[in-house]
Amino acid sequence: MDLITREKIKQVKRGDQSAFEDIVSFYQNKIYQHCYRMLGNRHEAEDIGQETFIRAYVNIHSFDDKRKFSTWLYRIATNLTIDRIRKRKPDYYLDAEIRGTDGLDMYSQLATDHRLPEEEVQGMELQDYINQQISGLPPKYRSVIILRYLEEFSLQEISDILDIPLGTVKTRIHRGREALRKKLRHV
Amino acid sequence: MNCSHEAVELMHKYLDHDLTKEEEGRLRVHLEDCEACQKHFHELERTIKLVQNTEQITAPADFKKSVMQKLPAEKKNVKYLR
Repeated sequence: MDLITREKIKQVKRGDQSAFEDIVSFYQNKIYQHCYRMLGNRHEAEDIGQETFIRAYVNIHSFDDKRKFSTWLYRIATNLTIDRIRKRKPDYYLDAEIRGTDGLDMYSQLATDHRLPEEEVQGMELQDYINQQISGLPPKYRSVIILRYLEEFSLQEISDILDIPLGTVKTRIHRGREALRKKLRHV
Repeated sequence: MNCSHEAVELMHKYLDHDLTKEEEGRLRVHLEDCEACQKHFHELERTIKLVQNTEQITAPADFKKSVMQKLPAEKKNVKYLR
């Protein structure tokens, strides 16, 4: 795919929109999934996922052909999701659907805080519970865990995507794994 | 070996494929002796597996179409506007 992507990008840079359609086809599920995991709801994932591709198209001339396209694209997506999370109003959190909970919102979450994890898991599918725990991580840990274990980027690639030093990626991934371990060891 | 600091630190380095041979040896010896750290290590490995096994999510059917409709016009239109 890499060679084909390179060729498509050349065509897009020459102004060929239909070549960009092929790029969207290839990356749409990956980018949508990434946004969904970062944001925790479908509506925002669709909105930010589309914005990612529009930004990539508009800024395609700033993409250096010697770099990896997927890293560049994920960088746009991750920055947009983090901007969106920062801009959320406090009341948004309470009304927003949490991914994998089938309509549960933060209000019901608050009520479940007192329950033991075992009891909580019994009430929902394991998959949903795991998704919810990933979504519940602070964004800086969430992004590295998603990129490492769901998108399978190397630590160096994650450092490039997030534009943070490799040492910081390692610290965040350690803390993210520990936080998830505590949440998932009972399931 | 101090479990809460050194051993756990080595476990994470192991998971990042960052251990030296010497560190790997020390971690292995410690894990053979320390049940609490064995448990911690298994929990970490299992956590990663649970995360990796979550289902793949696909974009909505009209995702690509919506993106293409929102793109700015092609270059020939830009020229026309001038």
